[in-house]
Amino acid sequence: MKANTKQAPRGMPLGLVSCHVCDKVSPISLQKCPRCGSELHFRKQHSLTRTIALLFAAAVMYVPANLLPVMSIRELGVLTESTIVAGLIQFWQAGSYPIAIVIFTASILIPLFKIVALIWLCAAAKGYVPHSSKMLGKVYWITELLGRWSMVDIFVVAILVTMVQLGTYMRITPGSGALAFASVVVLTMFAAMSFDPKLLWDQLEREETAKNTPLPPTKP
Amino acid sequence: MRTRLSILTWPKPKGGPHYCICHFCDTVHHAEQIPEGKSVSCVRCGATLFQNRPASLVRVTAFSLTALLLMIVVHAAPFVQMKAGTLSTELTLPSAARALIDEGAPLIGLGVALFTIVTPLILAGGLLYVCAPLMLGHIAPGAKFVTRLMHQTEPWNMIEVFLLGVLVSLLKLGKLAELNFGLGFWAFAALMICMAAAVAAIDKRELWDRLEVAAGK
Repeated sequence: MKANTKQAPRGMPLGLVSCHVCDKVSPISLQKCPRCGSELHFRKQHSLTRTIALLFAAAVMYVPANLLPVMSIRELGVLTESTIVAGLIQFWQAGSYPIAIVIFTASILIPLFKIVALIWLCAAAKGYVPHSSKMLGKVYWITELLGRWSMVDIFVVAILVTMVQLGTYMRITPGSGALAFASVVVLTMFAAMSFDPKLLWDQLEREETAKNTPLPPTKP
Repeated sequence: MRTRLSILTWPKPKGGPHYCICHFCDTVHHAEQIPEGKSVSCVRCGATLFQNRPASLVRVTAFSLTALLLMIVVHAAPFVQMKAGTLSTELTLPSAARALIDEGAPLIGLGVALFTIVTPLILAGGLLYVCAPLMLGHIAPGAKFVTRLMHQTEPWNMIEVFLLGVLVSLLKLGKLAELNFGLGFWAFAALMICMAAAVAAIDKRELWDRLEVAAGK
């Protein structure tokens, strides 16, 4: 089992593929998993194209998500519009530092981290940047794990809209920024799901093969 | 080492040898039988290949059944009641989604309903439907389809994120008005724990192996 790592065989050259749904290993010639009926593919289909397209859409939506108000507060006839950053600053100024940090992490840090990390992963899989596949594999794992937590701000808006319906005294309504923000979260989640970390190792293997192939001697 | 012989191994599907391919780097390994509670890592990249989760079917059944019962309470009882002068409002799980739809944000409302109501229901209901008969060696009709569906819906279950959202908004509202916690809130916190425990108890290899064996009988 603990054989030389470099010689551990990979699935694709052996024609073996692991089912994306049930993990059963079958020869690719079967085309469909004999256990669960899912289609078999060596790699997630059009992985990089899909990831980049979804990332692009997420990056575009990130602008209105931060510029447009996520909710409007009408207090005694006075209308205030609140963006994500404004809500964050409000918590900070009120001295609620732990919540401010939670909101900052979930709403600003995680979406940005996800977009940057996935662009980095795609570039690494194409061989544009030098990389350690082991480390980037962990980055990918974290990206997938953190994805959902950005939704917390949307849930806060939903709860405030539900609870603050106090007639003419105070009312909160959702703003257009909320939809943009929710779409950033969903798009980056889909982007992370479309990325196939096996591509990082494919690229590493290509680089190593190129390095180890002896070049023909030049003749004068 | 703690061993419980009756659940240490499960019937293996016919054929073999059984392989296992790393999800991260595509390295092929022999899938060996390991003691429960242990996990195996990939020789190339170090990622966890699989774990033998102890008593997985019993745990999944117990936690998903509890989660389903708690869902009834969560939907019926209010989370929090807010009092400001003579006015009072309540928060329940469905009301959060409905308020967004009523206030002109139907898409987000549907999203909230999907992530906090539909997905947990599919997950808890599906786990119970698949795992309870499987404990006795039977396969429920459509069990493979339900398991595939659960596999696809799992990342969209956002119960714990919603709970964080409740806490953040309550801290925001606490300065504004008087808040009373209801039964729904505590039931929701318990639901979150049960869902997390049920999902963490799933032993994917055991589940699919057992499904394959039960289907072949």
